[in-house]
Amino acid sequence: MPYKLIRTSKSFMKKPETIFHSYKAYLSVFRIKAAEGFQYRIAALAGASISIFYAFIEITVYRVFYRYAEHNLAGNMAGLNLSQLITYIWLAQVLLLMQPMNIDSDILNKIVSGDVGIELCRPLDLYNHWFAKNAAGRIIPLIWRGSILLLVSLLVPMNYRLLPPATISGFLLSLLSLFSAFLLCTSYATLVCAVRLNITWGEGPTYIIMLIGGILSGAYLPLQLWPDFLQKFILLQPFAGYLDIPLRLYLGTLSPNQAIWAIGLQLLWVFLFILVGRMVMTIRLRKIIVQGG
Amino acid sequence: MNSIRLYGKYIRMNLLCGMQYKGWPIMVLQVFIVVITDPIGLIFMFSRFGSIGPWTIERILLIYSMAVTSFGLAESFCRGFDYFPWKMIRTGDFDRVLLRPQPLTVQIAGSYFHIHRFARVFSGIGVISWCLFRMKIALTAIDILVLILALIGGFITYTGVFLFTSGIAFFTIQGLDWIYIFTNASYQITRCPMEYMPRTLKYLFTFFMPMLVISYYPASAICGWGDSYYKGLLALPAGIAFFLFSILVWRIGVRHYKSTGS
Repeated sequence: MPYKLIRTSKSFMKKPETIFHSYKAYLSVFRIKAAEGFQYRIAALAGASISIFYAFIEITVYRVFYRYAEHNLAGNMAGLNLSQLITYIWLAQVLLLMQPMNIDSDILNKIVSGDVGIELCRPLDLYNHWFAKNAAGRIIPLIWRGSILLLVSLLVPMNYRLLPPATISGFLLSLLSLFSAFLLCTSYATLVCAVRLNITWGEGPTYIIMLIGGILSGAYLPLQLWPDFLQKFILLQPFAGYLDIPLRLYLGTLSPNQAIWAIGLQLLWVFLFILVGRMVMTIRLRKIIVQGG
Repeated sequence: MNSIRLYGKYIRMNLLCGMQYKGWPIMVLQVFIVVITDPIGLIFMFSRFGSIGPWTIERILLIYSMAVTSFGLAESFCRGFDYFPWKMIRTGDFDRVLLRPQPLTVQIAGSYFHIHRFARVFSGIGVISWCLFRMKIALTAIDILVLILALIGGFITYTGVFLFTSGIAFFTIQGLDWIYIFTNASYQITRCPMEYMPRTLKYLFTFFMPMLVISYYPASAICGWGDSYYKGLLALPAGIAFFLFSILVWRIGVRHYKSTGS
């Protein structure tokens, strides 16, 4: 029989001396999860082959557009030439691996099987715990599959090759922006986990909200090539920070002196996602029904 | 006959099982959104760049949606095979299937069924009709025959891909992600106009896995882009040929099965 778990607001308060210890705990959650992910190296190789296949098809299709289409200069007019676009495609395939496209299977199993109850017994804040887990889940594929992909993108024939960054300062800023993108992906993934705590909804709603992120990120089509009337909206919406902003800085289509507001925008969304994620989780945990027995 | 009845029972059971979750209409919506948004990049590219010679957005979408519909049909009715390597071999559940005195393929094909997979089929058919309407193609009896046979051929082809994957999974146990090249990623290549498609891709998806035979050639025959009806009608035999090859792989796989679970 399902039973209700009631948590009072008191249990959320922490004594100051335990804060340092709990951060060590979150760090080890991250480390364990990362070490687990590293075991599947063959799977990473197989996964990389899919990304390469996709990149290859995309490059072929865009080359056809840039050469044979009716308005074949439309891309350059939008501020993205073919070699920049090819670089964008490769790097987008790498950064795409960081995007939350499904809920971490560990966390999902815990929610479905009712082990959330056990998670709540730990002397750790659930949001931070899952944040650390999601962070590891975001970064692992980037390291294995991502580095295979990068290697391939540097070895293919010249017409298909990845370009070096436009400027050194742009590159450094794109690294900074990449770190914000990592935080953005993690905070969004944790928000989705919090929404998933409502077990009776099933997979549908969480998939849809993750899918929206994927579409608006620019992985389907570089955001600069979206229709002109959408350009303002598309740059300000949260998911531009997934991969489009770091890549614009890398390619130099966003100049380094505009980086401050671009990265600031990313961090603003990170802040909002964490805030909403925590709020949703608190509300859900107040009346959570633990399944199983 | 007996096995068809058994398959029907499996499907019914899984359908009712899936309906128990209150969220199933949302799952239908989810697949629908996936299908609708997948070609969104292509649509935006066409609106920015205009068409590529004779290749309009309707042409590309027609070929694309024929492949997607076929894939959707296979996914709706033979979903079990798609899950097979992950859910049955790795857990050792296949042992139990082997013990039952019924055909293996029927048991596995019926082991999963989700109503929301039909969303792909319905939206695919919707896009096919929209494209034909926009291109002002008047369908004759033979056109409709070609179209239906193409979809059946496509269904058999993609079922063959699932069988093929499962057959290979007996040897590899895991790490089968590359097989997506022949499933979800395969119809992405239809975004590229035929005459500009790299030869390797064209040959791979014509002579090995006949994805273009079940999408491009029938579409070309129906709309009169220069391929005869004979090529359009090849869809079904090509699908059956690939399916027979997959059955062979599957048989070899079953013979080499070693249980992994406990």
